[in-house]
Amino acid sequence: MTMAADLLSCDVAVIGAGPAGLAAAKEAAAAGADVLCLDLYDRPGGQYAMQPGDPSGPLAASEAARLGRDLAEAARAAGVRLLSRAELFWAAPEGEGFLLYAALDGGAGALAVRARAVVVAAGAMERPLPFPGWTLPGVIGAGAAQRLVKSGGALPFGGKVVLAGTGAFLMAVASTFAKAGRRIDHFVERQPLRPLSSLTMLAPWPSRWSAAAGLLADLRRTGAQQHHGHAVTRALGRDRLEAVEIAPVDALGRPDLSRAERIGGVGALCIGYGFQPVIDATTALGADHAHNPALGGWHCLARPDSGETSRPGLYAAGETCGIGGMRPALVSGRIAGLSAAARVLGRTPDPGLMRSLAAELAKARRFAVSLAAHWPAPEAPPVPLPEAEVICRCEDVRLSDIRAAVQAGAAETFAVKMWTRAGMGPCQGRVCGAALAAALAEAGVPPGQAGYNRAHLPLRPVPMNAVHAALARTARPDTPGTGPA
Amino acid sequence: MTDLPHSADAVVVGGGILGAATARALARTGMKPLLLEARAFGGAVTGASLAAIGTHMHGIEEYPLLRHAGQLWSDLAEATGNPFEYNRQGKLCYILHPEDRAVGADWVAREQALGAEVALLTPEEAREREPLMTGPLIGATWAPDTATVNPFLGLRTVLRLAREAGATAVANTPVTALRIDGGRIAGVETSCGAVSAPHVVLTGGPWTARLAAMAGIVLPIRPRQAQCLASMRQPPGTIRRVISACERAGGVDSGYTQIQQAASGQVLFNTVTAPFDPPEGAQDHIHEVPPGFVLESIETLLMLFPSLAAQPLLRSWVRFEGVTPDSRFLAGSLPLPGLHVAAGDNGSGYCRALMLADHLVAAVTGAGGLPEDLAALAARFYAPMRFAQRDAA
Repeated sequence: MTMAADLLSCDVAVIGAGPAGLAAAKEAAAAGADVLCLDLYDRPGGQYAMQPGDPSGPLAASEAARLGRDLAEAARAAGVRLLSRAELFWAAPEGEGFLLYAALDGGAGALAVRARAVVVAAGAMERPLPFPGWTLPGVIGAGAAQRLVKSGGALPFGGKVVLAGTGAFLMAVASTFAKAGRRIDHFVERQPLRPLSSLTMLAPWPSRWSAAAGLLADLRRTGAQQHHGHAVTRALGRDRLEAVEIAPVDALGRPDLSRAERIGGVGALCIGYGFQPVIDATTALGADHAHNPALGGWHCLARPDSGETSRPGLYAAGETCGIGGMRPALVSGRIAGLSAAARVLGRTPDPGLMRSLAAELAKARRFAVSLAAHWPAPEAPPVPLPEAEVICRCEDVRLSDIRAAVQAGAAETFAVKMWTRAGMGPCQGRVCGAALAAALAEAGVPPGQAGYNRAHLPLRPVPMNAVHAALARTARPDTPGTGPA
Repeated sequence: MTDLPHSADAVVVGGGILGAATARALARTGMKPLLLEARAFGGAVTGASLAAIGTHMHGIEEYPLLRHAGQLWSDLAEATGNPFEYNRQGKLCYILHPEDRAVGADWVAREQALGAEVALLTPEEAREREPLMTGPLIGATWAPDTATVNPFLGLRTVLRLAREAGATAVANTPVTALRIDGGRIAGVETSCGAVSAPHVVLTGGPWTARLAAMAGIVLPIRPRQAQCLASMRQPPGTIRRVISACERAGGVDSGYTQIQQAASGQVLFNTVTAPFDPPEGAQDHIHEVPPGFVLESIETLLMLFPSLAAQPLLRSWVRFEGVTPDSRFLAGSLPLPGLHVAAGDNGSGYCRALMLADHLVAAVTGAGGLPEDLAALAARFYAPMRFAQRDAA
C-alpha cells in the first residue's frame, strides 16, 4: 500500500477534455484563472474530436481531429494544465470548494485535486438497447466501433461489418469508416429515406449543407448496401455473432417479422441507438438532474446563461447537460469556463459577451433539437425480448428476473437493483441502464419516474491502493473518532 | 403490483428483513398481516448489510437467544433448499495487540462454558483457516457457528414465504400517521390511504423513533452511519471466513470491522469507527460515503490482506443503523395497546430477525412465540420501555 499520490490545487478544475471541456478550460485560463483539466484518454479531444492513433494517417487530416488539436493547443497556450490518462473516481464538496480524486495511468498512480470551482464536461456514453442476441461477442456499440477505427485498431472479428441503429451519428460513424478506407457491408437505419423532410429540416441551416452532403458521399464510399426503414431484430450465433436478422419497420418503429431477412457471415454488428449524458460526477456532487428523452434521458440541469448547476461553484457543459453534439458543447463550454473563472476571481463576466454566447447556444441547441426530432431515439427495444434475455451482463440478470422484481413491488431503478443486483457489477449500470429503463417502462414505470442510479465512490473501478493514496492526501475532517489501530 | 387493502389483522411498518420475518411469523398463526415499506423492500439497512449470523462476542446474557436465532436461519436454509446462499463459514476475530489477547481469551472461556465450540488460535492456526490473512496479527478467536446469507436473497425468500403464508406486502407506501381510537391503536394512514388494524408493529430500523413519536412515544433509537465497500470479483477462497476485530482491552472503542467474500466473488468489507451523532434526518438525505471511512476501511483490509492492494474497488454504499443506548434491541409491546416494536439493530438485525419475529408473535397474539425459557429472557433483555422506566426511577 505504498503508492504515493500528488495533491494539486487550482482555481478551476475541468473534468473532460472534449470540445466542451477544452473550450471551458481555455476560456477560464484566458480570463486569468489557474486551470487544471483532467481527461480519461491518452490524448485530449474526447470522442468527437479524438486524435487518431496514426498521426500521419488519413483521419488526422479530418476536420474533427483538427478541431481537437486546435482546442488543446489553445488551452495549453492559455496556461491550462492538461492531464491525460487521469480518471476521476470521486468528487466531494469541501467548504465552498471541491475535492476531486483521480486514478492515473489506469490505476498505476493517483491524484487528489483541491479546486475552488469545477466544470463537468464528462461527455456522453452510448445508450445500448437490448435485442435478442445483443450480448453475443461481435456486437459492439457504434461509438465504440468509431473509436476503434480512429485509434487504428481492428474490429474484433473478421467477416462482414453491419452498421445499424438510427441518427445522424450513424452517418458520422460511416464517414469515419470511409475516411479510414474501411469497408462497411450493410447500413441499417431505422428511419425510412425521407429526402423531402430531410431537406426541409436542413433548409434553415445553410451552414450545415456541405457537411450533410459530405456525410452522404462518405456513406456511399463505404460501399455499404443501405437498408432504410429497417431495424435489427436479432443477432444470431452460437458462441459469437454469425448472422444478423433485419426487418422493415412501420411508422411506430414496429418491425414486420414476416419480411425479415438474414445477413450471414457477419463478424461485427456495430449498433447505435443514440447517446446518454454522463452524469456520474454531477450526481456525486448532488446537482439537480432532469429527464428528457430528446436530450438523451437524465441530464444535469445548468443555467444556459452561466452553466452553473444547482450547486454553487459547480458548472456543467456539453453533453452532460443533454445530448446536442459538438457545436452546443463548444459554446456551453465557453460559457461555463467564463462563469467559473469569474466566480473564483470575484469578477462579473462581460454581460455583452455572455448574452451573445447564450444566444449562440440557443441556436446551436435548436439545430440539435431538430436533428433529434428527425431521428428520434427509440425508448423501447425494437422487438419483444425473450424472458431469458440477459439484461445486466455483469451480474447475469435476465429479463424474467426484472419482471419478477417489478411484480414484487419494485417500482424504480434503485429497487430493481436492490432486488436483482442489476447494475451492481463492474459497469455499475452504465451498459444496462437503458435496458433496465426499457424493462421498467414496459411494466408501466416511465423513465422520468424510475430515476437513475446514484453515483457511488468509486465512479469507476480503481485499484484499492490508488483509492487509498488519493484519499490519504486530503485531511480526514469528515471522519469522526479514530479508526481501529 | 399489489393494491393497498383497507384493513388487516396487523400492519407491520418497515419492509426490511425484520418486518418481512414478522409478517411471515404473524401470517403463520393464521392472521392476515399487511407489510408496508416506504420505498423498496430491503432498500435501507437490510440490503446494505453484510448479513452475518452468529453468537460470538455479541454478549453472554443474550447468548441463548442468539444460538436459537442462528438455528432458525440454519433450519430455514434447510427447509427451503437454501436459495439465499446461507454459508456457515465461521468467524475469525483478529488480535493485534498483546493486551487484547486476554480479552479474546475471556470471551472464549465464557462462551465455552455455555457450550460453544469457540477457540483461541495462534497466528499459525488462524492462517491455516485464512491463508491470505498475512497481516501482523498475534492471535485470533475462532467461532465455527458464524454464517452469512445473501441479504437480498434472504429478504426475497422470507418475503415470498410471508406472502405464501397469507401476508400482503406493499412497497412505496410510507406511513404518515398512526390511527389511535379509544386509547388503543386503530391502524395507520399512508400516502396511499388509510388501513385499519388492531395491531401495528414498528420495524422501521433507524426511522422507528420517528414512527413511535407519531403515537407520542419516545424511543431512544438514534441513526448511526456505517458504510460498506465491495471489491471486484476475486477467485473463490480468497477470503474464506467472516473476519472481525477482537474487542479491545481497557474499554477502548475498537470500532467494528467485518470482511467477507460474497458468493458473487466480491470482497465485502467495512469499518465502523467510534459512533458519532449524524445530523438530524441524515438517514433521509446522506447517500455518499465519507472518503475518510473509505480510507480507514481500505487500511484495515490491506493491513490484514496485503495481497489485495492492487485489486480494484468496485463500489461503496452508506447505510444507517438504528442504535440504542445499551446496544440492545427494543422488542415487544409499547405502552399503547396494539402497538409493538422491534428496532435498534445496531447493525446486526439480520442475525436476530427470525427469532425476534417469533418474540413479536407472542406480543401481538398473546400466544406462541419463542420457547418458554427464551421468551422470559427475551422479554427482559429486549424490554422496549426499559429506558423510560430507568428515567422514571
